[in-house]
Amino acid sequence: MEALIIIFITGLISMFIAMTKKPFLVLITAMIGLLTAISSLVYQVNFPYEWLNYDGLKFDVFSNMYGIVALVFGLLIILVGYETFKKEPEHTGEYISLLLFSLCGVLCMLAFTDLFMFFLGLEILSIPIYVMAGSRKKDLKSSEASMKYFFTGAFATGILLFGIAWLYGAVGTFKIDEIAAAIQNPTTHSSLLYVGVMLILASFLFKVGAAPFHFWSPDVYGGSPNIVTAFMAAVVKLAAFGAFLKLFTVAFGGIHDFWAPALVILAILTMFVGNLSAIRQTKFKRLIAYSSITHVGYALMTIISSNMNNAFNLWTYLLAYGFSIIALIVVSKIVDDEDDELASYKGFARKNPFAGFVLILALLSLAGVPPLAGFFGKYLVFSSAFADYPWLVIIALVNSGIAIYYYLRMISSSMSKDDNEELEAYKINPVYTVVLAICALGILAGGVVAML
Amino acid sequence: MELLIIPLVFALIACFLPKQSLKYVSIAGAVTSLVVALVHTLAYCGSSHYVSIFDPNHVTTFGLTFKMGYDGMSLFMVILTNTIIPLIVLSNFKSEIASNKKFVSMLFLMQFALIGVFTSMDGMMFYIFWEITLIPVFLIALWFGAEERKKILTKFFIYTFVGSLAMLLSLIALKSTASSFSHADLVAVQLTSQTAFWIMGGFFLAFAIKTPIFPFHTWQPDTYTVSPMVGTMLLSALMLKMALYGMVRWMIPLAPEAMESMVPIVVILSLIGIVYTAILAIKQADIKRIFAFASISHVGLIAAGIMVFTKDSVSASFLQMFNHSLVAVGLFLCAGILEQRLKTRNLYELGGIAKLAPKFGFWFAVIGFASVSVPFSSGFIGEFLLLKELYQYEWIIGVLAGTTLVFGAVYTLRAYQLSMFGAPKHESFIDLTWNEWIVFFVIGMLVLAIGLFPQVIFDFVGPSIDKLMESVELSKNIVE
Repeated sequence: MEALIIIFITGLISMFIAMTKKPFLVLITAMIGLLTAISSLVYQVNFPYEWLNYDGLKFDVFSNMYGIVALVFGLLIILVGYETFKKEPEHTGEYISLLLFSLCGVLCMLAFTDLFMFFLGLEILSIPIYVMAGSRKKDLKSSEASMKYFFTGAFATGILLFGIAWLYGAVGTFKIDEIAAAIQNPTTHSSLLYVGVMLILASFLFKVGAAPFHFWSPDVYGGSPNIVTAFMAAVVKLAAFGAFLKLFTVAFGGIHDFWAPALVILAILTMFVGNLSAIRQTKFKRLIAYSSITHVGYALMTIISSNMNNAFNLWTYLLAYGFSIIALIVVSKIVDDEDDELASYKGFARKNPFAGFVLILALLSLAGVPPLAGFFGKYLVFSSAFADYPWLVIIALVNSGIAIYYYLRMISSSMSKDDNEELEAYKINPVYTVVLAICALGILAGGVVAML
Repeated sequence: MELLIIPLVFALIACFLPKQSLKYVSIAGAVTSLVVALVHTLAYCGSSHYVSIFDPNHVTTFGLTFKMGYDGMSLFMVILTNTIIPLIVLSNFKSEIASNKKFVSMLFLMQFALIGVFTSMDGMMFYIFWEITLIPVFLIALWFGAEERKKILTKFFIYTFVGSLAMLLSLIALKSTASSFSHADLVAVQLTSQTAFWIMGGFFLAFAIKTPIFPFHTWQPDTYTVSPMVGTMLLSALMLKMALYGMVRWMIPLAPEAMESMVPIVVILSLIGIVYTAILAIKQADIKRIFAFASISHVGLIAAGIMVFTKDSVSASFLQMFNHSLVAVGLFLCAGILEQRLKTRNLYELGGIAKLAPKFGFWFAVIGFASVSVPFSSGFIGEFLLLKELYQYEWIIGVLAGTTLVFGAVYTLRAYQLSMFGAPKHESFIDLTWNEWIVFFVIGMLVLAIGLFPQVIFDFVGPSIDKLMESVELSKNIVE
């Protein structure tokens, strides 16, 4: 709870500090606020104490763990974005406070105990992103991304509300523990309930970008400014999956047999759609978008399987995934190619060995090569699903095999050399170096931590 | 533990050393590891017990136990690795890549991962090390390989990665009933013969791709051809031994219930590979491709021997692994010398080199004879024992596999004759340098020594193999 308040106040303060037109000051404020919030979450991760009591939000171990990761990712993304912000100092405050407000939404989405708070959190999370996705106003692609994201997002929200209404009709409450209790009673299993759950499921699939609701994600990822892409891929996905897991395992756990088969089929579809489209991509961010659709497919396996450790498995998976995505986005900022062609990454590792090393590390982690964090995330997710759905795991492994193709293509292209082309080394900003180093550390250490 | 730490330390310090000192440091590192391995061997010799080198005695929530240790078979593979690495360093001593820090550090990383593979007593650790080995070999081939390498290496990587995923699936399946990943716990899992079949199948896919066994071999000749000499040596002398070792250590003990149904499949696939690739080798013009196909043929025999799974066949397989590693290093060094000095590997452009470079001609002949298993060479004992065991398993298989000896003689002698005899097609040929001579000499001596005293190796790995067979018999009987 404190973390939420701290971030909200930091967001407000940054807006006012921005009036001084000193971007650096805003950055420092945001950093201090975020670090305070993170330390307060870390401090109470196992012993949440509630001197501020509010029924709608409950910060337990689950939401604290997910919250820490979301805030760390937010911090890294603000650091990365700072270079862009500096170019237009009059807007720095807006960017940073929008990101901070969005993070408030993330915390609401992770800690909700009733559907009302959940809906509010989702909106607080999404609205700043609609704005930021279109923040490069003169860029047609950015405007397109913003429009697409807004329309599909608003549509998904509408479906969600509709679903919540049906659900309310069936169980007569918004509280998730009361819903769970009501669902234990078979008399509530009316078509009202089933339709409601299905509509909520659809809206979640929209938010996480699973097939067949994935069409927005490549365009939005490709068109948005880099940091917004990173934010959507790393943080929004984390929040949406956290809420997804909480809602479906806690509240709808009683009717697992009803929604699980649908989700199984969609997870398989998601994996294949993402992978097979990613193979043909020629643009970097679109490739990331499609590959992240595949990763959504893997992550859905945790929600499907009824395993004790699912929350932790999903957390590990999203942690590894987020660090890799942020590293990839930093690399894409370093390359700084307007058209975002994959070809311009050729020889990247030779031009800047350190950033190239992190790029390769991130790609290998996404591909699931041990001993990187991505492998352990994948292993945990797959092994937890194996008991109930062995063939789903087999399909997921087949997809890992397909995915290695495009990751490997990028790895070898980033290391290849053109003899006739002279190497101009990329000079990278120290901020990027720091962020890349943190990501590399996360990818390497994440594996070790998951092992212990 | 020092077995693992020394290569890792050298891999790290190689990144920070000046160029001139690199090759001396690399030879020092390689020899140090060899000496350490020999010290371990002397301490171990003759016993059959399991020696733990790292065991935190703690099972993580993940099921990992981090157990590392060796018995006779593991230690044998460690010695093999640590013998081959100095030879590889030496054979590249005068070339440019020996003073390239990327190369040196990757070579030691490879050694680290290989020793990890051979000493892991924990399924997940085995898998992790197994996957790590792929990275250095891939990078060495990518950085120093031939022009057209990119596509071929992608194929290689995907092939092996997909194989590993199948193994991962088997491990996940085993772990779903086992309490931890330790070797003992995984062995203790009781399987029905149908699940055992799929689990063994997963392992087999991983190992068959890496070995490679027919029909999973299509990546191999191309990859061997485009890799630099050192990459080919690593692939053929060390990396494929991981797969054979994996069969003995992991595949068979973990799912012995499937032996009945799996053995005929593997033996027949190996047999097809043995004959088919030997015939292909006869028609090749590229000398490196001949040796690549020859390697599939020889290794197929070892794999079949392991699957027949009698004491003699498994012991002979270990002997043959050692022999094959030595011969592979020797043969690919010959091919490398030819390529480096004449810029061609095409047999029809070579000829008469024995006259220009008599020392090279002599040692090439020695390695060639070792490869075709003439008596008194180590291959003789190994191949004949393997063929005998195959004959006893099913006489027709033994007879067909025996043709490998004939074909082997044909392609090896053809390669030797076309390149070494006849009218010289080149004006000059620099004879062996001292480092190449040492490599050939060591290989020659080892081949001869093992050929004369094979019992040393049988005694070394024998007790551990006895133990292995007992445990496999035991778990087979429980099912029945």
